[in-house]
Amino acid sequence: MPVEAFVLPKADLGGFVAKLKADCEVFGPVAKDTEFVFGPVAAAEDLRLDYDTTILPPKKYFHRPMETLFKFDGAVEITGEGEEVGKQVLFGVHPCDINALLSLDRVFLETYPDPYYRARRENTVIIGLNCIAPCENGFCSSFNTGPAMDKGFDLALTDIGDKYVVEVGSAQGKELAAGLAAASEADLIAKNQALRACQQKITRRIDVENPGELLHQNVEHPKWEELKEECLACGTCTTVCPTCFCFGVKDYVDLSLKAGERPRTWDSCMFYEFSRVAMDHVFRPDRAARIKQRIFHKLTYFNQQFEAPGCVGCGRCVSTCVKSIDPVEIVNAIQANPNPPREVKLYTPPAKKVTPETSPWVPQKAVIKAIKQQTKDTTTYTFAFADPKVQEAYTYDPGVFNEISIFGIGEAPISISSCADVKDSFDHTIRAVGNVTNALAKLQVGDIVGIRGPYGVGWPVEEMKGKNVLLVAGGIGLAPLRPVIKYIQARRDQYGDFEILYGARTPNDMLFTDEFDEWRKIPNTRLYLTVDIVPPGVEWGHNIGVVTTLFDKMASRPENTIMVTCGPEIMMKFVVRGLLARGFSPEQIYVSLERRMSCGIKKCGNCQIGPVFVCQDGPVFKYADIKDLPEEIF
Amino acid sequence: MAKPKIAVFKFSSCAGCQLSILNIEDHLLDVAGAVDIAYCVMAKRENREGPYDIGFVEGAVTSPKELLELKKIREECKVLVALGTCACFGGLPSIKNFAGPQREMEERVYTELWDLKSIPAHGIDYYVKVDAYLRGCAIDVGELVQLVKSALLGVNPHFRPHSVCNECKLKENVCLLVNKGKPCMGSVTAAGCDALCPSLGRPCEGCRGPANDANAASLARTFSVDLGLSRDDVRRKFLKYAGNTPEFKKGAEAV
Repeated sequence: MPVEAFVLPKADLGGFVAKLKADCEVFGPVAKDTEFVFGPVAAAEDLRLDYDTTILPPKKYFHRPMETLFKFDGAVEITGEGEEVGKQVLFGVHPCDINALLSLDRVFLETYPDPYYRARRENTVIIGLNCIAPCENGFCSSFNTGPAMDKGFDLALTDIGDKYVVEVGSAQGKELAAGLAAASEADLIAKNQALRACQQKITRRIDVENPGELLHQNVEHPKWEELKEECLACGTCTTVCPTCFCFGVKDYVDLSLKAGERPRTWDSCMFYEFSRVAMDHVFRPDRAARIKQRIFHKLTYFNQQFEAPGCVGCGRCVSTCVKSIDPVEIVNAIQANPNPPREVKLYTPPAKKVTPETSPWVPQKAVIKAIKQQTKDTTTYTFAFADPKVQEAYTYDPGVFNEISIFGIGEAPISISSCADVKDSFDHTIRAVGNVTNALAKLQVGDIVGIRGPYGVGWPVEEMKGKNVLLVAGGIGLAPLRPVIKYIQARRDQYGDFEILYGARTPNDMLFTDEFDEWRKIPNTRLYLTVDIVPPGVEWGHNIGVVTTLFDKMASRPENTIMVTCGPEIMMKFVVRGLLARGFSPEQIYVSLERRMSCGIKKCGNCQIGPVFVCQDGPVFKYADIKDLPEEIF
Repeated sequence: MAKPKIAVFKFSSCAGCQLSILNIEDHLLDVAGAVDIAYCVMAKRENREGPYDIGFVEGAVTSPKELLELKKIREECKVLVALGTCACFGGLPSIKNFAGPQREMEERVYTELWDLKSIPAHGIDYYVKVDAYLRGCAIDVGELVQLVKSALLGVNPHFRPHSVCNECKLKENVCLLVNKGKPCMGSVTAAGCDALCPSLGRPCEGCRGPANDANAASLARTFSVDLGLSRDDVRRKFLKYAGNTPEFKKGAEAV
């Protein structure tokens, strides 16, 4: 079906914009010193429709650099929403930026849709502007994201000299075009000629059939080390990128120390501290690894995660980089000197779409029902949601996590250490190491916190049915595995032999010691304990040594067995290695990973390992699915 | 909870950071209400002895006398904060560390040398443990207020250790380096100032010291090769405020 097209004489632009301004705010490209930015348009004369690119992309009107998620007063009371969203028009958006918005839609409108992004999207009219001249650094034709647009707009303008051809992309667009004269055959020919001429002038191009395959084959390549020497790690490339979505969530309080707000602000995987968790552990400290994460994310991971282009070729990252680091040049350099081809399997996330009825950002109030000290710094808290209906409906798989909030302090992801068979409450076993967990440590029975969840994929308790189970835990890693023990205990006849290997640093660091006897009494179940060291004066009648030293004592064999493990990454690494050496296959091994899971809902990006979102694709993974990720795990 | 006792001390510095504390009119009364300013010679006639809950130290340590005082202050303060770039990294006083032999330099400045007891200028964490840093020449008062709030709440403050470029881009400033060819240090300097200088059209001088994972050597090459700065100019850029830091030292030595 032919697209409906009209013409807008340039002389009439002023009247057209004035009409738009009658009932909404209009934003468009305006001059700023020698460059252009998207800004408020008072009248058509402000509009610089001859602009090449803008400093920040129009993304800023949807995914705001800083967006208040809510305001609060006290640890759990929400007192207000963020900024109200009015009706707005974006005038003169280039095809690359429109395609970038379509990509961002996949991030923000699917799997826990974000209410703020959605409200802005629904309240915005987009009047696109096709490109009739290439910009200096753009390479949009590599991804068919320019120079002409075919979707994502209400109206699309093309400059054909003294007038614009106006194509209609939506019902709302059609209304706005009311009163314009229909485009003639000659106008449409002129439009196509202008766009074809522009297309031919775009010489910068990423020309590779399967960028994912090429990059995966060249994870190790001298180019990355070269870039590491050059890159300033300033993060500008991601700040100006129209598809970058990562953000951080922090609480800010006023001087009452009680009232404040929880905003999200743009963050960047190029920053050293992006992947930092409590105790100052940084998961991606190496600059070369961060550069790889960005380039891989743009050219392949985004596609794997959201089935949409992660790079639209707008060229902003090139134009603004002090060192002119350029994806086109990077790909060309790798293509010119590639590693020998090898077969690669690109990671695909589990199919899982969740659409909750309420805002995914607002926690539910939960009351502390009981507190039990486990070790010097680790405590088990029993919670129940304040609203009995919420508690009744609350269920979860073993191994998943909640986000626990204390307004003013922050939010932290904590695995659930109870089994959902218990209906009237749930447990979190928490070590006091960071802002939130230290604040939790000061709370008492009856105090209230905020909880969102459950989030993530847990242990494969269904797949384990009919099989033997080997459970290997280290230190606090027993907390997310305790639900598995409880689950099997309650359904003992559905599982085969069950062995639990648990190691801790010292006997005093062991969790759930008062439950060990009960676990030993589960039929066909053996519990093996080990510690790294026994301090003087402490009695210990079990093994001494790292947890893998128990492998020689256990009866578990690879046949018909599923192994689940959680603990420090270094421990899991040696557990996995030890079991592979004993004939286990990566298909039988499940691991629980830890990263900075700031939002829990596949939005903030902090927890990514290569293409993996630990918060939603995990935290429990089949080892076979993640062992060959470009960003190595163990 | 009793109001925390606060003390403000001064070593070798211009007193600009202390002045910034007094300049937070919008917040001063509220802050003063939340804390007990027990010792601050610049602001009060009557000052009380320690111990203190939070001690702010301004200035670099440049003499043995200051060093002895600093050690006493450390013992008296539960939380010790380096107030401003001089206390964090040595700041402007530390330029002398890189200006040749100490005695020669002293001769250029002073006529009476017999009573000078000067040591190389360092930030206070060169000598004692420091719990928090307020960078900047002068400090950012927003960060100061946030630090006080965080200390009262018992949490780590959310400071931004990434580059100034991030804040500069969010303000959509035209890039002084890329678009205007000016030797701006923003890309390797820690944020938190809201890109104050670049927003006023002046290149970042690096007063807040190195950003996390700053690649100063690469920026020094750009200054030298692309902007044509002399070797001495590049050195001066990186040694002006935080030449004591290994990150900026690399920049100074790169070309």
